[in-house]
Amino acid sequence: MRTDNVFEVEHVTLRFGGVVSLNDVSLFQRRGEILAVIGPNGAGKTSLFNSLTGVYQPQEGTITFHRADGRALSVIGKKAHRVASAGVARTFQASRMFSALSAFDNVKIGAEDHRGFGVVGAMVRGPRTRHDDRRSDEKTVGLLRFVGLADRANVLAASLSYGERRRLEIARGLATEPEVLLLDEPAAGTNPAEKLDLARLIRRVRDELGVTILLIEHDMKLVMSLAERLYVLNFGSVIAEGTPAEIRANPVVIEAYLGSTAEASA
Amino acid sequence: MIRSFLERAPIRRLLVIVGVVAVIELITGPPGSNQYPTSGFTGSYAEAASFFGLFRTQRWVVFLALALVAWGIVELWTRYGATIRSRSSSALAGPRQVSEKRPVRVGFALALLVLGILLPHIVNNAFWQSALVTYVAIYVLLAIGLNVVVGFAGLLDLGYVAFYAIGAYTTAWVTGALPTPPPFGHALDAFWAIPFAVVFVVIAGVLLGAPTLRLRGDYLAIVTLGFGEIITIFANNLYGITGGSTGTQQIPHPVFHVGPIKYSWGLAPVPYYYLALGSVVLFLVIFSLLQRSRVGRAWTAIREDEVAAESLGINPLKFKVMAFAVGAASAGFAGVITASADNFLFPSSFTLTFSINILVLVILGGMGSISGVVVGAIIIQVIQAYLNHTPPSGYQQPDLYIYVGALLITMMIFRPAGLIPSRQRRREISLYEESHEGHPDEVLLGDDV
Repeated sequence: MRTDNVFEVEHVTLRFGGVVSLNDVSLFQRRGEILAVIGPNGAGKTSLFNSLTGVYQPQEGTITFHRADGRALSVIGKKAHRVASAGVARTFQASRMFSALSAFDNVKIGAEDHRGFGVVGAMVRGPRTRHDDRRSDEKTVGLLRFVGLADRANVLAASLSYGERRRLEIARGLATEPEVLLLDEPAAGTNPAEKLDLARLIRRVRDELGVTILLIEHDMKLVMSLAERLYVLNFGSVIAEGTPAEIRANPVVIEAYLGSTAEASA
Repeated sequence: MIRSFLERAPIRRLLVIVGVVAVIELITGPPGSNQYPTSGFTGSYAEAASFFGLFRTQRWVVFLALALVAWGIVELWTRYGATIRSRSSSALAGPRQVSEKRPVRVGFALALLVLGILLPHIVNNAFWQSALVTYVAIYVLLAIGLNVVVGFAGLLDLGYVAFYAIGAYTTAWVTGALPTPPPFGHALDAFWAIPFAVVFVVIAGVLLGAPTLRLRGDYLAIVTLGFGEIITIFANNLYGITGGSTGTQQIPHPVFHVGPIKYSWGLAPVPYYYLALGSVVLFLVIFSLLQRSRVGRAWTAIREDEVAAESLGINPLKFKVMAFAVGAASAGFAGVITASADNFLFPSSFTLTFSINILVLVILGGMGSISGVVVGAIIIQVIQAYLNHTPPSGYQQPDLYIYVGALLITMMIFRPAGLIPSRQRRREISLYEESHEGHPDEVLLGDDV
């Protein structure tokens, strides 16, 4: 069945022992859309990300990832690396670089094909391996240039600034040639100027590379300027959905963020 | 006030060095008795050597002087070493320089190879010629294999001896030296045990790896330790298959016979040395090519941050099993060479201590650094051979563990990344020391998302 949606999440419930982290969450994302998920701390945003990428396995519901070639992948029950190779890339809340490697190697590891068991092929460096190697090098250089880190290629990931690390992580995710890029609080720990650059970069990823963007972010200014549609999570449930303007005006959302009598009775 | 004095870095180093030297003094000195419990310290060198009366003095004076000299060297190194090192390259410099040094490295490796080929003729001494095989070459082979598992992929394997044992037992089986009939009912020559051994250890690596490599860190170490023990117990108890605790003493020497070319190994150690040297070179080439390949980079990624690696489509389990199987291959080779050179094998030679000895070689040399591991293995094994050949007065073989233990402690204090550390490992450790107060495993294995 052909569909315009990249992700379809239906009635997903994720529990850790007695704690319900996601409670009957349903949502969808259109191809090419910049979608944001917002919500207070502990609302289940990162749990949702981890469920979408195969890191967590929700007990109930279905998550379907539709690829551009028409094939669909049921995410629940798949390992994280399978979901990643199918075309879902992500960044992490606390950025997880390979800190002892250069920026270049970080991206190159993402660019390489890790399927197959080609120990001998990888070792012998025949024409095929050399060709693949050159291709990954070129891809890496291109992506570093795209995110504006071309002159930092040989710097250790650990020596990069916070904002640079965020951009490197995006480049590393893009190196896997994803259809969707999930960004977990990309602006955390960056200064206002870097935030502006980051917003511009995220929009370019969508516009120039055609990658669909799913975003978790706390910085409201960034989210409202970037996202085309938003979901609001609170206590593991979706409490609102709509365009930035609609969300801003939604009384339920304002309550969730500011707290009110509704919270006491809940 | 005393405390702050003791916590000053040079004073702390002095105390550590004096402590280590005191341990060495105690273990090398004459054994104490009820009457003279401190004779390890107070004994004199009078009877050993009266070098112009120089050493006609109490041992503790000599050792204290040695400790002070060692401390002086360490202090000079910490003060001025930085300038010397920065002239070559600092730990946190970019990774660019590697390729520029490549011709130099290749030349250096070739020079070492020539030295390796000439070595048995240089030493020209029956004990050392055989020690080159039994003490050095075999251990180098084992250490570089374990380095793939521990150093490249970051998996702590305490049962590595199992693969060595499987290699040795495969040789015995293929040559018809076991109660079990050889494959196809026809005893092969020990040389042809090599492909069998490699296939068997790789299969064993996959069989052990597939279920256990889902575990992380300490749990993996415990399970691999168990695997090592299981293999030894099997060898001991499956009397009808392995020959039980008496093992076998009928493994023939290898013969290479293809067409008109025929070469037989015999009792002389030097041909075995060349066989082992050839295997070492083969595996050095294989492992260093792998380290620089796509597979090596995937191993690095898993070692640094498994969760991030998986988010890039790397299947951690697959690559860990690959590391296990690839690393086991050289142990299989070592097993074949030892079994066919010795003609005998006993289950009691494949112990946990053996696995740990190999691990010590890897750690001392520098995890993840091929050249470091080779150098580390050579140094430790030559010392061991020397001590066994010309033991100091009162030396017992188990004493070696005290020496190696003291060396290991000293190394961990002053050079935690090993003798010749790998660039990445050194960076990982310095990054960890700069930024972290948590458990080091968090850096290597990654905590939960």
